[in-house]
Amino acid sequence: MVEESNERLVCAILAEQVSNLRDRMDASEAFDLLWQTSALLSWLAGLLADITRDAPKSSLLLDKEISEAISKITTIRHQLDALAFFQAQRQDFARQIADCVITALERMSSARMPEGSRFASADLAALYVSDDQRRLHEDVLNRLQAG
Amino acid sequence: MPTILVLDDSATMVMSLSHILKGAGYDVETGMNGREGITKLTDGVKPSVILTDLNMPDMDGIGFIKEARKIPTARYTPIIVLTTESGGRKRDEARAAGASGWLTKPAEPNQLLSVVKQLCPLK
Repeated sequence: MVEESNERLVCAILAEQVSNLRDRMDASEAFDLLWQTSALLSWLAGLLADITRDAPKSSLLLDKEISEAISKITTIRHQLDALAFFQAQRQDFARQIADCVITALERMSSARMPEGSRFASADLAALYVSDDQRRLHEDVLNRLQAG
Repeated sequence: MPTILVLDDSATMVMSLSHILKGAGYDVETGMNGREGITKLTDGVKPSVILTDLNMPDMDGIGFIKEARKIPTARYTPIIVLTTESGGRKRDEARAAGASGWLTKPAEPNQLLSVVKQLCPLK
């Protein structure tokens, strides 16, 4: 194996590595399971309500327990929906950050940038899609300048 | 049942938004970028509300809003931008293009439904 110290080659390799990492962030099976569970709980709550309404004889105690069960099922379903939605947004955000790193590394690699040209921090900042990224960027600049 | 058009380049986000909106009683049409959104509108989909991301390939959210406002049936349809961008410049840009509102990710399902229900109450 030939030793390679070319920084542009390193950038190209890192871009592929991060790209690979981004593709592994796919958690669609987990989300699908969460949504299926939520839908099932919704169905169960409806079923319990129907059984209570249509039952020829029912006791007060049973009615109370069914009512509590429906209430708990509804609460858990809302929590599952909120969890899935929040995690989906987090994953989306993580992928956007990875995309930004990949684009920057690709531009710094020999394939995307003419010899002798530079990639400045302002070029990186132009790739951001959220204020969180910009804040982090500013923090790093301030830290490095202070040091 | 009122229809909501959801545009986001993240399949997980599209599925998540669809799940929440369908659970609340809305019909949902989806697209992965602005171009697909415009195709839906020109194909005759008449959403009561449009939810769109900003950063999408092919045609981004701002481009979509500008094009959508040229389509007579979508000229006055409420368009809510749902994005990780919270910056004023982008927000002004979206508003100038014709966006009706803005939700910053991460948002809560209740926040999302509250906005959608205000714009399109369920009977």
